[in-house]
Amino acid sequence: MINVYESVDANKRRSWLVVAGFTAFVALAAYFISRAWGGPEMFALALIISGVMSFASYYWSDRIVLGISGARPADKKRDFMFYTVAENLCLAAGLPMPKLFVIDDTAMNAFATGRDPAHATICATTGILSTLTRTELEGVIGHELSHVGNYDTRLMSIVTILVGLIILLGDWLLRASFFGGRSRDREEGNTGVIFLILGFAMAILSPVIAQIIQLAISRQREFLADASSVKLTRQPSGLISALKKLGADREPLEAANKATAHLYIVNPLKNRHDAIGWFASLFNTHPPLADRIKILESML
Amino acid sequence: MNLTLILGLVAVGVTLYVVGVYNDLASMRTRIAASIQEIGNQLKRQFELIPNLETSAKAYLKHEKDILKMLADARKMSDPSAKVAELLPKLQVIVESNPQMKGADVIGKLMDELRDTSDKIMYSRRTMIDLSADYNIKLVTFPSRLIANAFGFQTEKGFETAPEETKTPKISI
Repeated sequence: MINVYESVDANKRRSWLVVAGFTAFVALAAYFISRAWGGPEMFALALIISGVMSFASYYWSDRIVLGISGARPADKKRDFMFYTVAENLCLAAGLPMPKLFVIDDTAMNAFATGRDPAHATICATTGILSTLTRTELEGVIGHELSHVGNYDTRLMSIVTILVGLIILLGDWLLRASFFGGRSRDREEGNTGVIFLILGFAMAILSPVIAQIIQLAISRQREFLADASSVKLTRQPSGLISALKKLGADREPLEAANKATAHLYIVNPLKNRHDAIGWFASLFNTHPPLADRIKILESML
Repeated sequence: MNLTLILGLVAVGVTLYVVGVYNDLASMRTRIAASIQEIGNQLKRQFELIPNLETSAKAYLKHEKDILKMLADARKMSDPSAKVAELLPKLQVIVESNPQMKGADVIGKLMDELRDTSDKIMYSRRTMIDLSADYNIKLVTFPSRLIANAFGFQTEKGFETAPEETKTPKISI
């Protein structure tokens, strides 16, 4: 039996470890790429461009996602269970009541977004609301509220900015060398050549590595949200049977796309990629349902 | 760097830490008090809401029962056998229509509200339990326990269950 507090703490530690490793990797890659080509000014420029692009999606994440998904606001009469479950779990989590939305889709899914708990939005499909019992729905909404309480939207936005930075820097280095080499020639000799080779290697490899780490962070946050959900409801069985029902549902969600996939409780694109095995699992936003259920069962 | 400067910096650091822990403990205590008020708030909601819901559900069920009784009486009054001869040539088919019964919906909604209300009270108690636990942990872990002891912070008892509430209720319908 795993204690809920220990599980939440362990997940937080692991999550920070992954984020710290990611930050170190980005710093290292950026250093080698800018050393091989420009100077710190290239680094600053890439950071600004990547930052501005991602900031909009972070700041207006709720409106953008809701605009894409075509959701309607939930109302207490019509969506009594959804509304009251969210209300009650907010009470337990000490969070302000998020805005609630419903997507008219028979595929079962739910997601949370918004830059902080005060601007949070939780969205559920009519499929999930009509299939799950109240206890199961508590597990799912607890998971979503934990994403809100753990500032996962903020974390993933920062990670996206850093991945964008690496992609831009790598891209620029490769283009610049194509159009006639380095802009600076002060570093000649052996060190210059080594840095140039390292820089090119980094420029080619690091965008992929950065994205793999980004997805690893996303999966780690899913485990954390599961554990935090159990900490709120103290009923792992609810989330377990909800995840089993979600796993049995083979219908992909129309409104989801690659940009919003990491926000959902289960991967909404389940039918759209069919690669098998370890390599495919590197590129998943969500850990496999069987693993999540196994961990939750150890908390029973 | 001379010794006085180092000592000065250490003193500033320690003071900031002590002030920080003190403020944490004080605000946690306030939050626990607020969470106890929240439990009261939810109990008050239950106290006001449940009797009202009960009254309206009962009123509806009585209304439905009255309609049923009226229907049954009306059917009893018209004795079919006496009029068979009269009706035979016309050979009419009488379709008996009953008004839609909504009693199950009403009871279902009442049960939803009851579950929601007890959930709300349960979750507000959980907030209080969690906050007290966080606060009590600070009181027993090092180094915050030194500061808590120095300023006389007391352990929060948390939530207590009355012995009769620990028994499993029996359902009789």
